[in-house]
Amino acid sequence: MERIPALAISQVVKSFRAHQALKGVDVKVNEGGIFGLLGPNGAGKTTLIRMLTGITAPDAGSISFFGTPLTRAHIAQIGYLPEERGLYKSMRVGEQALYFAQLRGMQRQEAEKRLRVWFEKLEVEGWWNREVADLSKGMAQKVQFIIAVLHEPRLLILDEPFSGFDPINAQRVRDAVIELKEKQGTTVLLSTHDMGSVEELCDEVALLNRGEVILDGPVHALREQARDGRFTLRFLGTIMEFTVAIGASAELIQVLHSESTVGEHEVMLRLSPEGDIASWLHWISGEVKVVACTPWQPSMRDVFIETVENRESNAIPS
Amino acid sequence: MSALRHIVYREWITRVRRKAFILGTLAVPLLVMGSMAIGWWLEQGDNQKSRVLVVDVAGMVSQWDERFESWVPICPDCFPDRASLTYRFAAEGMEDEAFIASDFDVMVVFDDAILQHHKAMYYYEQTPGFDLQAHLKTDLSMALERFKVKETQDLDFSTYQRLKTQVSLVGQDIVTRDGHAVGRSLVGFVFSLFLFVQILVYGMHVMRGVIEEKINRIVEVVISVVKPSVLMTGKVIGIGLVGLTQFIVLSVLVWIITLVGGMWLEHADVLKSSSDALVGLDLESWIAGQAELNFLLDVNWPLMIASTAVFYVAGFALYAASFAAIGAAVEQESDAQYFLIPAMAPLVASYFLAVVAIENPEGPLAVIASFVPFTAPVVMLIRIPLGVAWWEVVLSWLGVAVTAWLLLRMAGRIYRVGILMHGKRPSWVELIKWFRHAD
Repeated sequence: MERIPALAISQVVKSFRAHQALKGVDVKVNEGGIFGLLGPNGAGKTTLIRMLTGITAPDAGSISFFGTPLTRAHIAQIGYLPEERGLYKSMRVGEQALYFAQLRGMQRQEAEKRLRVWFEKLEVEGWWNREVADLSKGMAQKVQFIIAVLHEPRLLILDEPFSGFDPINAQRVRDAVIELKEKQGTTVLLSTHDMGSVEELCDEVALLNRGEVILDGPVHALREQARDGRFTLRFLGTIMEFTVAIGASAELIQVLHSESTVGEHEVMLRLSPEGDIASWLHWISGEVKVVACTPWQPSMRDVFIETVENRESNAIPS
Repeated sequence: MSALRHIVYREWITRVRRKAFILGTLAVPLLVMGSMAIGWWLEQGDNQKSRVLVVDVAGMVSQWDERFESWVPICPDCFPDRASLTYRFAAEGMEDEAFIASDFDVMVVFDDAILQHHKAMYYYEQTPGFDLQAHLKTDLSMALERFKVKETQDLDFSTYQRLKTQVSLVGQDIVTRDGHAVGRSLVGFVFSLFLFVQILVYGMHVMRGVIEEKINRIVEVVISVVKPSVLMTGKVIGIGLVGLTQFIVLSVLVWIITLVGGMWLEHADVLKSSSDALVGLDLESWIAGQAELNFLLDVNWPLMIASTAVFYVAGFALYAASFAAIGAAVEQESDAQYFLIPAMAPLVASYFLAVVAIENPEGPLAVIASFVPFTAPVVMLIRIPLGVAWWEVVLSWLGVAVTAWLLLRMAGRIYRVGILMHGKRPSWVELIKWFRHAD
């Protein structure tokens, strides 16, 4: 039996006057996973997230939340950390976190108990009675993260949660997200441009561009799909000699690295469709001194850039 | 409902605990009262009598008394022995050095020329206070009048005083026999002025609060938890309560200070001869004893206070709704001016109508303005002390309340769109579009 997805977004359309921000978006987010919502600026990610949090409503299409149509009643089960976030400067840190917990319907005592745990976990325990205005940017973001997760939501929406953090605190928050997923079974929708985080955290992604989903699926599958016979080669010699040597047998895509003092270079290549890597390597070893040869594994960043660029170039009328 | 309660509380508590609010509410009246008390205390401390030497060169107001071997006033009543002032007379003035060396504080020269230009020169080493100057003016004028009358044939001073007449006007409504209308309309004006100031000041607080949330970007977190209309309503109610808190605290503070001050004055045996000492102890009997304040007893205070409360709540909601919508539409206060002028125009107009209503409280302009919801809170409060039919007051309440409710709903639609919009200031046309397409 197929599991009910945490979120099923179907043919969602949203327009702002003449501009169509979402053009029939379909996304399915599985329960208990971390789903990456990717896309260039202006792709429609924030518009989609605002619909999920009840801030705006779709013009057409449907959104279901764990099998039932999404309504405002579900808001209490959603945690949201927006990209554009702030805190009330005139309030103290602990008081502010309590305020949001109570707005979400939590009892004061329970909220305070959970807050103490989170404050300790993210090392902000000494800031309970401090003014928000005294917080550094990173510290404020940790408080905002705690506010988003405190009520133990079934769905946690994080929009650029790591921007502004130093590497140590970014890792601390990443660990917290993983813990939420593993220990509480929280479903996480992560919108970010940090592809390192996507590779590290996400099980599945959807890539939005100009209001449409142009790519979606499990991260490892998408990376595998993007492999197109490219490989990297390290050799001793000169680029000129190498270029002349390979002729039309392979396409030199990019010089990745050159060490001129010892004459060592690293290049990315793709063989012609009829080429065989083993025989080609044997042949080129006679022309230049080969140091290493590695099949190329595209990163999510590569997948992102290539997919969007291909889409854009196809969209340009000839 | 629970979320609304938390929003209201947050808006209220974060403002009433601000130093500016505490200072404005507590310290300012205390400072004013304190400075008045210090002034009074200094005046009491400086209670030695001022000695005034009247140099009566022409013998117009004084004469030589053989028994006392000194110059005495011809008219002793004209120079009463006041608590703060005592007179001595002489026929010749003193040299500057002699005056400085003497124990006189002021020397007034009374010569023939005074009959022409009515001006008396006075000399001092330290500037005399206003009180002393006023007493001198009164006493010398009376003495001069007496001298002039004495010089006039067939007229003695007591006849002159009997003939001297100052007309004062005492008005009375021919139907109600009410003679205190003007005084009571002034009571209304004080209340309406309070309402005007509170609506304006705290309405601006609402606008600033919305702009702050928008700029601060916290609003997206809040409206992902509660509806924008709930957030806006909570803000309006919370900030309205701040104004009410300030009013209550100020009232209690003034009452306590009056009470304590009155008790202290009585205890200190100060002003014992005057009923002034009873100010804080028995206000009603004190007012009854003051003819010019009798009109206060004719005011329907329960209706007045209830109306002030209703008009404050509904009137504030009415204007604060507009201010909230304006705050949501802009990103900085300077941009808000564009929308504020038309939004504030009815409020400012109501102030001018209030001034008109004092002049003519039953005139058509005042009567109409007391039913128009945008001007009613300020104008009706002027008419109520004059005796308005209860149904008229209730109609006015309802008009303001219903309009406030409608405006809150309309403003809520603009607010929910505007609060997430960033960039250039919208035009009026865009605001209308936001309102129409808020769903």
